[in-house]
Amino acid sequence: MRLLPVSAAVLASASFAAQAAEPGPLPFVACPIVQDTPTVPCWIVERDGETYYLGIQSDVSAPFNPPSLGHKVLVEGGVDRSAPRICGGLVIDPVTVSIMPEASPECDDLRMVNPHISLPFEPPRPPGPSMGRLAFTYPDPPAAPQPPFETKSFTVPYEFEGMVGFKTPRFLNPVLLYAQQTNARRVEIRGYRGATKLADGTLLAEHEGIARARAEEIAAMLLGAGIDQATYVVSADESPALGGPDNRRVEIRIVP
Amino acid sequence: MGTTKIGRIRGDRLLLLTGIACFAASAATSSDGPSRWWAPGEGRSFPAYLSYANDSGELGLLNDGGAFETKGHPFFEPLGRNGRACVSCHQPADGMALSLKSIHERWEATDGRDPIFAVIDGANCPNLPQGDPASHSLLLKRGLFRIFLPWPPKARDGTPIKPEFDIEVVRDPGGCNLDPSYGLNSANPTISVYRRPRVVANMQYVLHRNFGIGAFVGKTGEPALRDPENGQPVNMNMMADAREPTVKTQAVEAAITHLQFDGKLSPEQLQRIKDFEYQIYSAQVKLDGAGSLVESDGPPGMGPYNLARGEKGVLGNNITKWVIPVGDAWQVKKPGESDDEFAKRQSILRGQKIFHFRTFWIKDSMYLNNVGLGNPVKRTCATCHGMHMTGMDTANGWMDLGTTNLPWAKEAPRNPWQTEDELMPLFKITCHKDVQPHPYLGRVIYTQDPGRALISGKCNDVGAIVMQQFRGLAAHAPYFSNGSAANIRELIDFYDRRYNIQYSEQEKTDLGNFLTSL
Ligand code: HEC
Ligand code: HEC
Repeated sequence: MRLLPVSAAVLASASFAAQAAEPGPLPFVACPIVQDTPTVPCWIVERDGETYYLGIQSDVSAPFNPPSLGHKVLVEGGVDRSAPRICGGLVIDPVTVSIMPEASPECDDLRMVNPHISLPFEPPRPPGPSMGRLAFTYPDPPAAPQPPFETKSFTVPYEFEGMVGFKTPRFLNPVLLYAQQTNARRVEIRGYRGATKLADGTLLAEHEGIARARAEEIAAMLLGAGIDQATYVVSADESPALGGPDNRRVEIRIVP
Repeated sequence: MGTTKIGRIRGDRLLLLTGIACFAASAATSSDGPSRWWAPGEGRSFPAYLSYANDSGELGLLNDGGAFETKGHPFFEPLGRNGRACVSCHQPADGMALSLKSIHERWEATDGRDPIFAVIDGANCPNLPQGDPASHSLLLKRGLFRIFLPWPPKARDGTPIKPEFDIEVVRDPGGCNLDPSYGLNSANPTISVYRRPRVVANMQYVLHRNFGIGAFVGKTGEPALRDPENGQPVNMNMMADAREPTVKTQAVEAAITHLQFDGKLSPEQLQRIKDFEYQIYSAQVKLDGAGSLVESDGPPGMGPYNLARGEKGVLGNNITKWVIPVGDAWQVKKPGESDDEFAKRQSILRGQKIFHFRTFWIKDSMYLNNVGLGNPVKRTCATCHGMHMTGMDTANGWMDLGTTNLPWAKEAPRNPWQTEDELMPLFKITCHKDVQPHPYLGRVIYTQDPGRALISGKCNDVGAIVMQQFRGLAAHAPYFSNGSAANIRELIDFYDRRYNIQYSEQEKTDLGNFLTSL
């Protein structure tokens, strides 16, 4: 058996005296489940005898990060008890899904179409060709800034233990554009490391060093994309900040 | 007929004998004589349109810039030391790629002395004697040329890239990876992989600057390669590993590696190569049994004229554009159309539907399942092959299907009774502790060709191969970058196994007829 970096980072703490009055089920770590329907499949999870709905298969425009069989997911968010169940599950909304990096071969539950389960709505994207709607549209670029240019801050979010991925360009393109438009002199990049307290009391922290790795990766990306005249100041805060998804981030300041 | 040098020397190899038998049978039927093969420096005229028979019908090539003389043209002249030209491996009759059948024909016609067999990359390793079929087994059996790349990789500006993994050579039948002069432990550490020539036509699609191109690669977030002429990001959709940003930089590399050209291509020469590559369109125009694919009321996605007119660089995985549009063609039987012809055309139409609509569970495929769709995803062939008219990805089309990574890659069976030796090298990739493991393959990956990872050094990129365009497929078997599918049926069978699709026999036939008609 190999040592799993994340499990190693579980700073076990079973004794949480001050639980919230009515502890919700979230956040938790569980195996994702695929529940197929006559249209697109749903992603659900089961926890303490209850089923929760995470989202449906769509495309790169999906509002949530769809899970991967073979890996557990960290689910953060809140249960929307007023929403009708979807695919048999209580709706978690907003929902943040992080795919845990280590392999969990036991997460292999793919449930075929069940006559009692169908989507209560038309999926935006059928399992075949789209009806013509593009998965990603490019927003109109913001109006070019006028001098005197101001220092501007940007944030790049991450999933738990996540690094740069297919979603990162969405957050980095505006940074690049602003740096180009203002001929940035200085680029300050600071990486952060997050930690999440699960509902069962377990404390799950990202591995030490991820804050720096994140910051350095972002610096390399901006440099590689052509911001090569600026001075880079790269720093990291490796103290695990307890809280939600917002703590897993890189902050960038563009100084014209 | 059929007794060849290859047959005599390696007569014990069942696979090779079968290959030769097929070749002998088909060589006898190819009728268009000496003009079929374009030899370097012939000084022929390249017409505005030309066509060649192939095993499934006929391929058409539209030279949209009009006829020209190839004398002095850098794509057609043997520029380097080994007598090859670009056209040597990008033959018009083979849809501007190179079929295994043509390779066999050249071997036969020249006793292994055609420049395509030059040992630099036409042999398993340059240290092998040219002309001995054993030296060229990868080329003769799978149509593969040696691609040699420095390890560790270097960025385009020459700075070394720190790889995320260690690479070891587990098996090296070609002998090059372990060779003291050419291998991983040589003075210039080099990795040799073996790949098929790719189609050099319809390149305006391959290199479009339209949809999905930005400063950062949409699938990985890494900075995109940029065109050295204007600094603009490119779509990185060329070569199995997207290592070259433009056809000009590609031509510079090809001249050095394939042609052994020691000089420097002039800006004019590079422009002529680019112009030619951007004006040549290739597609099947006739399919046996279905007749012409390009009648005036025929499907708008077929034939080279439609390609020349088509919209470049747009998504086709939707019902407004389609990947390969067929329009209203062939829906009802036309006067004069035979029953058989109508039936075959109906089969092509069904194949087009299967391609777009027949869902299956796409699973554990890097750069499809991890880019916002989820793993698995219930989708279709057109999900990955989404570009209108070519079936490529619109940009950054590298993905890992399992064509080169174990356990899915084709490997000779291992048992006490086997006589077939595995041809392909095998590498062991061990991802470093400080990076996350590959989400589907873990920290240790065995691969015949690390693909994109040889350029990026990234663990997740191991076995990711840029998908090829679908045009003129009938003219250039075998398929996949490592030639592991000998024909269209084997390609379909690969997918059927890989994703447990469970196609019916009829679905396989229809999908095959559709692909062959492109
Ligand atoms: C010895 C055979 C050979 C010769 C000669 C050759 N090529 Fe190629 N070509 C290949 C192979 C093999 C590949 C695929 C390489 C890879 O995927 O890494 C390729 C790929 C290409 C591609 C990429 C096409 C695509 O869509 O991905 C272009 C363009 C190309 N060659 C142009 C040229 C030019 C221009 C020349 C002459 C300067 C040339 N080739 C000479 C074998 C050859
Ligand atoms: C997960 C993405 C994915 C799916 C789904 C997929 N392909 Fe591919 N396809 C690829 C990739 C990647 C390659 C290039 C692989 C290589 O060369 O090793 C490829 C290559 C091809 C080629 C080109 C072969 C050549 O050598 O020119 C054809 C034809 C093809 N696929 C047909 C299909 C068909 C038919 C289906 C549906 C059964 C399908 N593909 C489904 C990713 C996909």
